[in-house]
Amino acid sequence: MSIQFKTIKDLLTMLKNKDISNKELVKDTYSLIKSNVHLNAFVTLNEEMSLKKAEELDKNKSSGNLAGIPIAQKDLFCTKDLRTTCGSKMLSNFIPPYSATVIENLENAGCISIGKTNMDEFAMGSSNETSFYGNVANPWGSNLVPGGSSGGSAAAVAAGIVSAATGTDTGGSIRQPASLCGITGLKPTYGRISRWGMIAFASSLDQAGPMARTAEDCAIMLNEMCSHDLRDTTSLDEEIPDFTSDLSTSIKGLKIGIVKEFDLSMLDNSVAQVFEESKKHYESLGAEFVEISLPNISLSVPTYYVVAPAECSSNLSRFDGVKFGKRCENPQNLEDLYIRTRSEGFGDEVKRRILIGSYVLSAGFYDAYYKKAQQVRRLIKNDFDNAFKKVDTIMTPTTRGAAFSSGSKGDDPIQMYLEDLFTIPANLAGLPALSIPNGMVDGKPIGLQLIGNFLQESKLLQIAHNFQISSDWHLKTPSGDIN
Amino acid sequence: MDKKTVTTIAYLSRLAIDPKNEDKITKDLENIIKFVDQLDSVDTNGISVLTNPLEKTAKTRDDKVTAKNRKDTFLERAPESNEDYFLVPRVVE
Repeated sequence: MSIQFKTIKDLLTMLKNKDISNKELVKDTYSLIKSNVHLNAFVTLNEEMSLKKAEELDKNKSSGNLAGIPIAQKDLFCTKDLRTTCGSKMLSNFIPPYSATVIENLENAGCISIGKTNMDEFAMGSSNETSFYGNVANPWGSNLVPGGSSGGSAAAVAAGIVSAATGTDTGGSIRQPASLCGITGLKPTYGRISRWGMIAFASSLDQAGPMARTAEDCAIMLNEMCSHDLRDTTSLDEEIPDFTSDLSTSIKGLKIGIVKEFDLSMLDNSVAQVFEESKKHYESLGAEFVEISLPNISLSVPTYYVVAPAECSSNLSRFDGVKFGKRCENPQNLEDLYIRTRSEGFGDEVKRRILIGSYVLSAGFYDAYYKKAQQVRRLIKNDFDNAFKKVDTIMTPTTRGAAFSSGSKGDDPIQMYLEDLFTIPANLAGLPALSIPNGMVDGKPIGLQLIGNFLQESKLLQIAHNFQISSDWHLKTPSGDIN
Repeated sequence: MDKKTVTTIAYLSRLAIDPKNEDKITKDLENIIKFVDQLDSVDTNGISVLTNPLEKTAKTRDDKVTAKNRKDTFLERAPESNEDYFLVPRVVE
């Protein structure tokens, strides 16, 4: 029985019924990785250790909730004794001495970390074209981008290689690739999942989350990924519910907010049409639509492109060629060591963001840019606080369109930045948000975004699951020939 | 944004700019700064900054030593080290 395109739930049943052994499951996963090598979804594989763990599981049954499930880990999470590059030349030789809390939690639940997925360098990008390890192809078409930055994870799930993967989301890096690859991805509330062992990009925005074929599988993953972690001071000490328990509860009477300021006529006709059809679908499930206003929402992208580069320039100052990672050859003196190591180790987009960050944090411009952006960030958050007095969730398209061709955004970084127009606001406000496949445009999948109030992941997953048990967009699989 | 500013912030960032790309980088940064200048249009008088969406004071834990000495583990990952230290080119002649 093929394991391709199976959900976590399917695989757990197959393992339980002994339709497949743990070792066969891992072997079949590597066969799929090898037959999909053109996607370039993986940077590093963990084959020997994975087979060993599977053999152990075949001998000694584990009680873990995800025992034997192969998971692809974004190459941004530190994995003990397994190379972690963050998509950068800078870390091409980095073998972490410890694992991220998320990795530990998943492995303690019995997951098998099958390999590390390709990504935009240091998670900076929306198309997976900034990785030092090459572009990732979208399984729906080899010339299409998978989105980014968690593009390798999204491609691996969309191609049916693994049932689930980990991702991280600073401005849309889980939801945007989920939309472009036709899968489900959740960015939880800021602080829900520990950031310990995640290579930091923008610390006040970064959040890890699950990427899978269904909302139900995302809930199963989230159950294992969350924990209160003393090693991360922003890790929330809140009750962690069973995220699967309310999935099937009816959403009759649910109030869904539609953002007045998002003018959908600026989107492709077909994208706006898909969105309208999803509204009708939710109406048929008993939901009501309420127009809400987020007056400052149009300032989200400019706010983000001050806050994120500022935090990035600070976080990435640790890569100096002294303690770990690459060092330039034959440094003449200490300053030469720093400058050449960083100039050789970072790619263009990372350098660009470090430069913007240094600029907005520099003495003469701090108030005009950094402080100003943090004040506008407050206004954006206040807008959400007001909106959630009236509605249970806010619905938007995840992206402005379906997957675009590699290289098509040209040389203008701002065009790429606008790719995250709909996803950035949830990061600025720290809110949970997810993307589910809700239609096709020109034969390519597209996603619907649902944003929830603080700690309302269960509700978001319930709203998404209700859609998925009454539609089949999430069941579509790529044929790989769309341009 | 001009080439002199770019040179200054590149130095602050300890990055070298390839002279071939100097014009392109200056233009890109100028466009990005123009783009974020939209923020100027908002009245933020009296609005407090939001530095972190949680706005909770970080919890403290008991003041107990939990870290183990893993000097060797960390030093072996360094580009250059001796038994006790990370090594860099000589700083004081």
